Amino acid sequence: MKISGFILIAPVFLFLFLFLFCVCVCVCVSKSLVVANGGLGNGVSRRQLLPVLEKCGPVDALLMPPNKPYSFVRYTTAEEAKKAYVTLNGKEIVDDLGQKIVLYLNFVEKAQWKEVGLQALPPGLMVVEEIISSEDEKMLLESINWTEDTDNQNVQKSLKHRRVKHFGYEFHYENNNIDRGRPLPGGLPDTCDSILEKWLKEGFIKHKPDQLTVNQYEPGHGIPAHIDTHSAFEDEIVSLSLGSEVVMDFKHPDGVTVPVMLPRRSLLVMTGESRYLWTHGITPRKFDTVQASKGHKSGIITSDVGDLTLSKRGIRTSFTFRKVRQTPCNCSYSLVCDSQMKETPPSFPESDREASQLEQEYVHRVYEEIAGHFSSTRHTPWPHVVEFLKALPSGSLVADVGCGNGKYLGINKELYMIGCDRSQGLVDICRERHLPALVCDALAVPIRSGACDACISVAVIHHFATAERRVAALQELVRLLRPGGRALVYVWAMEQEYKKKKSKYLRENRMSPRKGEEVCRGTSGPQVSVAQPPGPGRPGPASGLSSLSDCQQGGRNSRDVTKSQLPVHTNRTSFHSQDLLVPWHLKGKPGKDRPAEPGGAGGSHGPSPVFHRFYHVFREGELEAACRALSDVRVLRSCYDQGNWCVILEKV
Amino acid sequence: MKLLTHNLLSSHVRGVGPRGFPLRLQATEVRINPVEFNPEFVARMIPKVEWAALLEAADTLHLVEVPTEPIEGYEHDEKFLRRMHHVLLEVDVLEGTLQCPESGRLFPISRGIPNMLLSDEETET
Repeated sequence: MKISGFILIAPVFLFLFLFLFCVCVCVCVSKSLVVANGGLGNGVSRRQLLPVLEKCGPVDALLMPPNKPYSFVRYTTAEEAKKAYVTLNGKEIVDDLGQKIVLYLNFVEKAQWKEVGLQALPPGLMVVEEIISSEDEKMLLESINWTEDTDNQNVQKSLKHRRVKHFGYEFHYENNNIDRGRPLPGGLPDTCDSILEKWLKEGFIKHKPDQLTVNQYEPGHGIPAHIDTHSAFEDEIVSLSLGSEVVMDFKHPDGVTVPVMLPRRSLLVMTGESRYLWTHGITPRKFDTVQASKGHKSGIITSDVGDLTLSKRGIRTSFTFRKVRQTPCNCSYSLVCDSQMKETPPSFPESDREASQLEQEYVHRVYEEIAGHFSSTRHTPWPHVVEFLKALPSGSLVADVGCGNGKYLGINKELYMIGCDRSQGLVDICRERHLPALVCDALAVPIRSGACDACISVAVIHHFATAERRVAALQELVRLLRPGGRALVYVWAMEQEYKKKKSKYLRENRMSPRKGEEVCRGTSGPQVSVAQPPGPGRPGPASGLSSLSDCQQGGRNSRDVTKSQLPVHTNRTSFHSQDLLVPWHLKGKPGKDRPAEPGGAGGSHGPSPVFHRFYHVFREGELEAACRALSDVRVLRSCYDQGNWCVILEKV
Repeated sequence: MKLLTHNLLSSHVRGVGPRGFPLRLQATEVRINPVEFNPEFVARMIPKVEWAALLEAADTLHLVEVPTEPIEGYEHDEKFLRRMHHVLLEVDVLEGTLQCPESGRLFPISRGIPNMLLSDEETET
């Protein structure tokens, strides 16, 4: 509230105030007065006002309602009140920011303020005071190198924004989520290790965090009210306050707001309801309303207006430690849970960035979730791939791009095969089997050019969402080859019935899932309905991307003219679209590769979770054409094999 | 991660190209895994190895046995082949880092698995 502006309207405000709160103005003397312009809401603290009022006599009570530009004073005698009325009217004082304020007093019948009912801390919330020493506080503050990222720094400064730094995993503010597949090297800073161990040991925290966000707030900075994304982080979220205290506001969806004091060197622990349901935020302002009697102690800021004052903010740095979720959230607050709320159904991507995001959500994340179960269904190597590998000369260096669970890595002992996969979960399985593999993206394989005698890529390229990306993946394979080297590529075919013969995938309709080996398998389950209308679409024509054949046009709304929804496929039926989502029904032990059921101790509680994977199935000739588009390549062989299109190419 | 694998790895950070090789190896945990010796196999690997990179990696791990270059007639020199077999295939880096020599970008090796994922801004596409 601007002080100068207020002074001008003060008399008007005083009148309005009296009208609104039905306090009767007595010309006859009483012990109580209203002090207009002398309020917490316009920057006047108890510390400043009280001495001024006490000059007229001992003050029985000084009630300063939060955020109001006035307060009430009650003297012990009417005499003193009168003296105040006479001497203090028009009195000039200086507020905490050094600005001049003029006080106006008038009698009121009674000085009282309706109290809000007793408040409690949000359930699951705890503030541990003095959890670190001053030395540790200093050490932690000094350990953060803010100068590294100067570009970002300048952006933040010009936006008058708080400064932010992430460790362990990058937090993305565009979608308020973590990029699970891309951990930041270095993990958490070494300086935090001993502190976290101590907290674990002493029971302040139950889990070891793997993500840290450091926020630095200058006076005036804040953070809008929010709930930390359910799907990004586990239950326990802890935040260490350094450098300065602050009042954080917790809001319940019903409208209740609880302001909580976070003292310096305290640890805020949010679990359960306080983590999942209440929002938390820091109002951008330079002062907080705090409890005078409690000083710098933690706890709820009371609504007892007889005890409120202002506290000027300093520079506060918070260290928020969290543990990244590896499985979807299954809390009981489903209305605010992004894992459980049905997401906007995905649409055909219109840019490389959208394609990348689609793949992240509907390929990479899914394989991480289903890795164990998926691996258990991938046991039989395909004969033609085996044939290709066995025909290679002894001592050949071979890359398996998209090696999955390493099915092909040990087939021919005369070869040195390196497996690469995007999924950490699947690469872990390779490792368990003593098969060499590494985690990387098929569009950026970290192998030097021309180092490989051969490459294979089985059931991989059909996961790329645009034609450009599919061609880029092929290009990478070719780059790895030495001249004369050969690559074998398998992709899922749109034509599941070819030359009047149905593929195994179609033939195994309604049969038990353990039989045989398919490119992409799920159990025959009911079609999963994708209920919601599409989310906000971005207008604009689809850029020159691969043609959509028969792509079902999902429900369009007026804002969403050009985006088409990706259809969800029914397993074990023919494909009606080239770009689609294929369900995977997850089965297996809970905990390892399945999200834990709420309150469950294993065993199924209802239908098994379903995951959707994105596929672009290839038409006859499409894979071959994509290969021919590459400059240094010769297609040696092209064929159809059990519902897949396959190509062998040679680098010239 | 075996040293033969390390010898093939190159950084894919945008703009580095061939200067992303070799990755600087730093190991905090190494294990020796016995592997069946196949002399023909090893002999065929030798010409594919980038020798300078191998020497550097072996040096970092304090493996003193690597000769500075393949010797004449190495295909029939069992002693040499056994030594190379050990260095290339039996030394396993379990924990450590790989560093791009051009950009300085660090890639972690954890439980023997290098994680070479780059963020969108870092890739070359």
